Amino acid sequence: MAGDNGLLSALAMNPAVILTVGAVLGAFVPNGFAAIRRPLMLVFVAMSAFQLQRLGLGEYGALSIFGEPVTMLRIDPLSRIFAVVFHIAAALNLIYAWRSRDRAQDFATLAYPAAALGGVLAGDLVTLFVWWELAAMTSAFFVLGPGTRATFLAAMRYLTIQILSGVLLLAGIVLVYRETGSLAFGEIGLRDGAGAIKMSGLVMLLAFGIKAAFPLLHNWVQDSYPKADFAGTIVLSVFTTKLAVASLARAFPGTGELVYIGAVMTIFPIFFALIENDLKKVLCYSINNQIGFMVIGIGFGTAASMNGAVGYAFTNIIFESLLFMAVGAAIYRTGTSKATELGGLYRTMPVTMVFCIIGAMSISAFPGFAGFVTKGLIIDAAGEAHAFWIWLVLLFASAGVLEHAGIKIPYFTFFAHDSARRPKEAPPAMLIAMGISAFLCIAIGVYPEPLYALMPYPEALADYHPYAPYHVVEQLQLLLWAVLAFAVLILIKWYPAEVPSANLDTDWFYRVPGRDLFIWAVAAVRAIWRLVWRLASTRFMRAMDRIYAVHGPEGAMARSWPTGFMALATAVVLGLALFIAFIS
Amino acid sequence: MADHHHGDEKPGWADAKVFRNGFLAVLVIASLGAAAAGFLPAFQKEHPHFEVEGLGAFFAIYGFAAFAFIVLAGQHLRKLVARKEDYYEERE
Repeated sequence: MAGDNGLLSALAMNPAVILTVGAVLGAFVPNGFAAIRRPLMLVFVAMSAFQLQRLGLGEYGALSIFGEPVTMLRIDPLSRIFAVVFHIAAALNLIYAWRSRDRAQDFATLAYPAAALGGVLAGDLVTLFVWWELAAMTSAFFVLGPGTRATFLAAMRYLTIQILSGVLLLAGIVLVYRETGSLAFGEIGLRDGAGAIKMSGLVMLLAFGIKAAFPLLHNWVQDSYPKADFAGTIVLSVFTTKLAVASLARAFPGTGELVYIGAVMTIFPIFFALIENDLKKVLCYSINNQIGFMVIGIGFGTAASMNGAVGYAFTNIIFESLLFMAVGAAIYRTGTSKATELGGLYRTMPVTMVFCIIGAMSISAFPGFAGFVTKGLIIDAAGEAHAFWIWLVLLFASAGVLEHAGIKIPYFTFFAHDSARRPKEAPPAMLIAMGISAFLCIAIGVYPEPLYALMPYPEALADYHPYAPYHVVEQLQLLLWAVLAFAVLILIKWYPAEVPSANLDTDWFYRVPGRDLFIWAVAAVRAIWRLVWRLASTRFMRAMDRIYAVHGPEGAMARSWPTGFMALATAVVLGLALFIAFIS
Repeated sequence: MADHHHGDEKPGWADAKVFRNGFLAVLVIASLGAAAAGFLPAFQKEHPHFEVEGLGAFFAIYGFAAFAFIVLAGQHLRKLVARKEDYYEERE
């Protein structure tokens, strides 16, 4: 490392370190003063945001590790937009569960965003790796939070997968270093100049792909996130997958394969979300679907599509959190997130219902809301690329988003059949957090220019007019007629009723046959070990018996020999020596 | 936690027929309006990327069909993947 002063000042200026210090200090606040924990942490969020703004664009914290230059802090347009929205989300998460008195969860509510922030601001791969692993560990507090056997097992599965991603990242870093001789975190790409797939690119893509929940690698989201409590799930929903999106945008812009991976991601969760009864899990499938849109944008890799990808990540964090917050408020008041046990809450939770509908309209990309002004950039990019089938997939997926996030979440929570539950309205802190999110959804939708200015390529937005008449009409046609289809299906009673069930997904492979195989393998290893031990120990014991027979107290070697016998034996040995000397 | 309601409670505003019919009427009018607007040159893209964009009501038809397909076809996924709610609890 460079001089200690260099390291210390590099750490002190890093907004992510400021947040981490806030989290640690908060964790040391005694339980008797737990009420000041979150206000204190909020102050650190403000300090970190101020530091981010004060530093401005640039590279800071240049050090050397074993002679290799590293940049612990890089604020460029790509990392800045994520850093800004991470601060917003961290603050809203702290406000939402303002009355929480759980030391571990309070700590993680700030330490986890801090780690994700450190990751997006990392200018080199070693710094990225450190924050990447910290994000995995700090987020596990939420999954472990409820403290049941089911959540413990889920947390172990979660950690296993997250650490696997970290190990792959480390391997990828080694491969990248061997290839480029540098630890800088820049564009890596999947293919080399000749078009062949690079091992370094493949390993890095896999490491990022696990955290971004690529298809078949996605199910850790549904397995772990809903296990956290009503507030923990919201925090989890924001950071890990978006850190992965930021990393993909940094390392793999224009990687064509991502367009197809993203297309699959936007489609398959729609069907799983449709049949899912647990509304938290529905929203987890929604995360998969939403990341799919961003991955497609990164795959096209044009200035406009990259703007769309990261802009959509920004707005998605706000409206997806809002939906999680609304469902979280329902869970807080009723104790359930099952669609079959909810319904009719609009009567007593009208404000939460209004906020939920604002989130639903935003994620569905209705004109006037945040999703509309950002998702259009990605769909437009497919058009610009003349990728007709991808364009159709994106429109299809938009109808799917409307189905599971736009309609299903508010409909089954607040309307549908009357659950006869009459809970109180959400507590003021939750309403404030939801209110700010809802305000942002509308404010960005109506006035997107400040967000556009934050995007990595603002110059590419000069000719983009989200409220061009044709764009508004196209989107209204798509969404209104999809709502009409919903109304028709409800009226003719073709819309399927919710059914309580556990729906198998890719986690089934490691939770049932994989677990059985593992248990069988453990038993087999134990049996083999016992056999080897028995064989070895039997032979060993036999050998010991023989030695004992010869050397033991009763053995031949332990007998006392007469002097005459010894003289005779000596004569024989001498005779043998003479004989050997004579013949040689 | 949940307070259960009593039998003599008035039905909520969203369950009233007036609201449901009104909502449906507004939805139908808005949908037809959006579809009709698609045929007016003022609401059409000058340089569409794909031919279908110029068909006027393409997005309306596609939105309706996609939504109906997702719901009608998607529910059959249950037959393949749905298990008892405590499926995993029994096995872990």
